Amino acid sequence: MKALLYASTITAMLVFTGCGGSEPTVDDSAANASQAEEINIVDETSAADSESGIQSTDLDGSTTLESLEAKMSPIYFEFDQYKLADEDIDTLRQNAELIQGDAEAMNIANKYSLKLEGNCDEWGSDEYNFALGLKRANAVKDELINDGVASERITLVSYGSSNPVCTEKTQECWSKNRRVDFKLLP
Amino acid sequence: MRIIFGVLFSALLLWGADATIEVRKSVDSLPSIAVEDASSDYNDGLSKRFFRVLVSDLNVLSIFNVDRDYIKAGFDDENVAVAHKEIDYVVRYQLVDDNGVMVVNVNLINNDKVMHQLNYRIKNSKQYVFMVHTIAASINDFMGADPVDWMKEKVIISRTTGPGTSEILITDYTLSYQFSVKRSGLNVFPKWADRAKKYFYYTSLSSGAPQLRKHGVYDNSDVLLLTSDGMLVCSDVRNDGKKLLLTMAPQGQPDIYEYDVASKKTKKITKYSGIDVNAQYMADGKVAFISNRLGYPNVFSKKINSQATEQMVYVGKSNSACTAHNNYIIYKARESSNAFSNNTFNLHLISTKTDFIRRLTVTGINEHPLFSRDGGTVVFVKKYKNQSSIGVIRLNQNKNYLFPLKGGAIQSIDW
Repeated sequence: MKALLYASTITAMLVFTGCGGSEPTVDDSAANASQAEEINIVDETSAADSESGIQSTDLDGSTTLESLEAKMSPIYFEFDQYKLADEDIDTLRQNAELIQGDAEAMNIANKYSLKLEGNCDEWGSDEYNFALGLKRANAVKDELINDGVASERITLVSYGSSNPVCTEKTQECWSKNRRVDFKLLP
Repeated sequence: MRIIFGVLFSALLLWGADATIEVRKSVDSLPSIAVEDASSDYNDGLSKRFFRVLVSDLNVLSIFNVDRDYIKAGFDDENVAVAHKEIDYVVRYQLVDDNGVMVVNVNLINNDKVMHQLNYRIKNSKQYVFMVHTIAASINDFMGADPVDWMKEKVIISRTTGPGTSEILITDYTLSYQFSVKRSGLNVFPKWADRAKKYFYYTSLSSGAPQLRKHGVYDNSDVLLLTSDGMLVCSDVRNDGKKLLLTMAPQGQPDIYEYDVASKKTKKITKYSGIDVNAQYMADGKVAFISNRLGYPNVFSKKINSQATEQMVYVGKSNSACTAHNNYIIYKARESSNAFSNNTFNLHLISTKTDFIRRLTVTGINEHPLFSRDGGTVVFVKKYKNQSSIGVIRLNQNKNYLFPLKGGAIQSIDW
């Protein structure tokens, strides 16, 4: 019994004080190494953590935005194009039904907004490529509005070639990157 | 030196009034130059890196045939090294540690006589590359060649580090010096705010809608200026730093706007249902920009307060980026009918005063061209065989140089 008491006490001390025996130190080697008197390094890790994405919060107790988002297929585009193909219209109609129908059935339709992310392949990182990604997202937005999704629930962003899902140097890979993704935001 | 050296044309261009015209002559007539290291205070690693950067800079000057052999010498030796007896000019440098301050003494020697002397001090030896660039520019001025003050400029780049992440770096034109100012998130299109280069604008895509922010290099300030749905990019900063040309898409439609830094007001410059992007200040109150109003991307210009637009390029069916300097425009063109061939995107130079077109690059993806302030040099980003590099084009000397980036790809550049 006494041994158990000692063990519990030591465990509690470790939990509340941490295992390190030395004094906490501040690592300023980076500043010394990089002439911080002239140029400061900004660590934006906390800002990056807030990057848009789906939270794993249950909204109705049985489903999440993640599961709804996973059902939405990306829309793919031809090289240097932002017009929707006929088969894309069908895909978008299915996505719109998910956004309207399933969400309404689950009573979460008014609890999230839709973010359309336009993307391009690696052939150019200039402004035109970003605009191309944006026009792709805008074409998807227009079609969703035609299918009954309220425009005020939709936001757009273009990542140009900065957010590829495939990094191999093949035409098949590049075609996967010319896309619009659907993100649902609480 | 880690330069993959790309002299694409082994010829010189005589000085001419029109940079679009190429006139060639033999390089054999160039004087020879060599470098001697007389340092003892610093270890061989630093003094040899100093040597390699200096040799590279002398080569970029394009006024010498540069000997690349590393040779040690005494700073006060009366004669140049035996190996350099036949060399026209010798640059002898000595690095001295003066209580932590790096001192550099330089002699330019011709026929065993010192023709030109230089002395510099720098507190932070890690910034030695800027000292080397200053030395090379001074030698260039002593020789009476075209100014190369652009060598001394700080360059800012956005480097993609992975899907959805990037890093903003301050560097020199050779990428020898690199300092990270934005390490995480997705921050793109950095643009110096003024000539002092104490602040830069950039686009943050790290959270929600795109943001235009202004960052202080020395005071670490970071101020939100504008937010726009879709996209928001600072395309150009007017020479006085008081106005910016932006691409914004508040209703999902990319158009060109001008932003007044003092009043913080924006004015819409273009209105077109397709794509208008990449506006650049030109002479006479005009802006050049990229538009697909003919059904494909091409270069146009307009006066800021006028509705009329003018087509600037009549060659090619995909000219998707441009930069302007007075009456000159450089544009990026997709030349091949095969979208994925090796020579897909090349840079071309035109003058608004003539019909001549000069092709500046021949392989790979070449984009983000930028003129130096004097218009005589162009930097650009080259992507070729999984390698991203800064390219330098000496227009009047008709020479190209490449400086590769280790790791990642250059998303955009400003200098």
